[in-house]
Amino acid sequence: MKQIQHSGLQWVSNNSTLLLFAVAIALFGILSPAFLSFQNAFNILVQAAALGILATGMTFVLLTAGIDLSVGSIMFLAGVISGKMVVDGAPLWWAGLVVVVIGLEFGCLNALLIYRLKVIPFIVTLATFYVGRGLGLFISDTRAINLPESFLTLGSGKVLGIPLPVILLFFVITLAHLVLTRTTFGKHIYAVGHDPEKARKAGISVNRILLGVYVICGFCAALGGLVAIAQLGAVSPTFGLQSEFMAIAAAILGGVSLFGGRGNVFPGTLIGVLLIQTIQNGLVMVNADPYLYPLITAAVIFLVVGIDSLQNQRREKAKRLGLK
Amino acid sequence: MKRFYTCQGLILVMVVLALACKRPKGRTTIGISFETLQTEYWVASSDALKAACEENGLDYLEAIANGDANRQFEQVNNFISRGVDGIVIAPKDAHTVIPVIKAANRAEIPIVIYNRLPAPNKGSYTTIVADNYEITKQTVRYLGDLARASGKQYKAMILIGDLGDTNAVLRREGFNDAILEYEDVIDVVAEVPTEWNQEKALAGVTNALQANPDIGLIFSSSDFLFPSVISALKNAGKYHPIGHEGHVLLGGFDGDAMAYQLLRSNYLDADGVQNVYYECDLAIQAILDILNGKEVDSVLVDPGFVIHQENLEEMAPKMWGANLEVP
Repeated sequence: MKQIQHSGLQWVSNNSTLLLFAVAIALFGILSPAFLSFQNAFNILVQAAALGILATGMTFVLLTAGIDLSVGSIMFLAGVISGKMVVDGAPLWWAGLVVVVIGLEFGCLNALLIYRLKVIPFIVTLATFYVGRGLGLFISDTRAINLPESFLTLGSGKVLGIPLPVILLFFVITLAHLVLTRTTFGKHIYAVGHDPEKARKAGISVNRILLGVYVICGFCAALGGLVAIAQLGAVSPTFGLQSEFMAIAAAILGGVSLFGGRGNVFPGTLIGVLLIQTIQNGLVMVNADPYLYPLITAAVIFLVVGIDSLQNQRREKAKRLGLK
Repeated sequence: MKRFYTCQGLILVMVVLALACKRPKGRTTIGISFETLQTEYWVASSDALKAACEENGLDYLEAIANGDANRQFEQVNNFISRGVDGIVIAPKDAHTVIPVIKAANRAEIPIVIYNRLPAPNKGSYTTIVADNYEITKQTVRYLGDLARASGKQYKAMILIGDLGDTNAVLRREGFNDAILEYEDVIDVVAEVPTEWNQEKALAGVTNALQANPDIGLIFSSSDFLFPSVISALKNAGKYHPIGHEGHVLLGGFDGDAMAYQLLRSNYLDADGVQNVYYECDLAIQAILDILNGKEVDSVLVDPGFVIHQENLEEMAPKMWGANLEVP
């Protein structure tokens, strides 16, 4: 009986985010029947697309025990440059290509500064955060850029009835999941995250792995930014601000460890993103008091991180006692 | 000997730099500190303040804190050490400006707080602020009158700004109090918190329209959230010009370039306008008056105005956004 109880608790702590997700759906569904509609489920997915892509890139970086604070600025800079290009008459594909290049360049810059200058990721990406935002503000003259209708096709278009942002989200998640679980590169990411020194001794090129994860993160930031502005139809000077924190929160809610080496994109980060978006959506659907929003979001983060911390302590204890 | 010449050279460079940095005597210098320049409103304010300084033959120093209250405090301290004659500050928030006021008071430099009311404190300062509450109330009353005149029942939504920002809170209060007068025709079904973030605004408006597809009146606490509102309305098939049967009554606050364009293209019904030029002139004049020993009130209010389809031609020249191009 005790054994069953113990394994039940173990299951609950292992799947805390999923359970919270289910509880949130049930609760909002009871409070607002419109919440459970098919259309609203699509809404949540569409709104989760940009953050989901961003958080996927962030997961790669977090798995190496790194952090990337520049993602919001990359989104902004890529948005400003592509927006200006389209407004000036450049074709959409050309603007899209430039967005991707900006993301890759920023990723390369972050990685190079981290492993060449041996500066911690927090400081490097804080610096590139300012570089990106400063450049974006300079280019845009701190003015909002209103994009032409053609830009909105990416945000509102559908293929076989499925919104394009949702297709992009699932494509990125699937690809990331395959890279992390089925490739040597993915295994090396976990190894570097667990212990970079041991990984180096095992013959893994830590620098190459770092370059890879920051480039992926930069690419995802630019792509996420593109998806977001295609839905908004405008790039304002505050675009992308604090997106880095939302991406980190989503990954951590999904079980990715800030200390590296633990977590996954699917279902982990995806569930984290959906949980955040579901709560935001549900609170509007039930017309909750606006002062409750940050409190509820904070409570969910505390709850999940608290359960995760307890789980970690149990794991450490078991390790000390030599138990599996 | 070589070391001696090096020292002499360094001293010479320092003297030259000090002379270069010293401002010319006789000119009054104003330190202008902005919390951020990340909206059109702040950029227009910064430009208008600099223009007002130039009109009055004043020099100015400018510093932007990029949303960091500590940095803003340091920047104002730098102004004080450089011996400015007056300070105009658009602070991060109502509380972090208090040490800045104290520092200026200690240095006996007049300080004007621009656009945000500080929390109650014993310092000596003048605040220039738009009447956020009253301007919003008048704007919403105009929308309420339109709703009542149509003879239909309306469901309404408000986009709220950052609840840590006094201006956002006052606009929300102005909206709620005005709506009370129209309870017979307007029912507020959604309050969407945006934290002044367009992405959150888009998601919030989309969700609110999902929960209440028959929403017929939307008020945005800032014009810069209009792209999000329009995108959500378009996706819901509810974006129609004034006169169309499915038109959603639309109101905003600020008076920016996009609001002006929307008024011109017949999509926006009314907009509460902060009179940037008036506020900036008041700010510079307040400092000059204090320097000349005149008494200045602790709060100078910009009554603003409401611009709508009926007074568009008359009021457009006073709307700061009408003088900007929409990129």
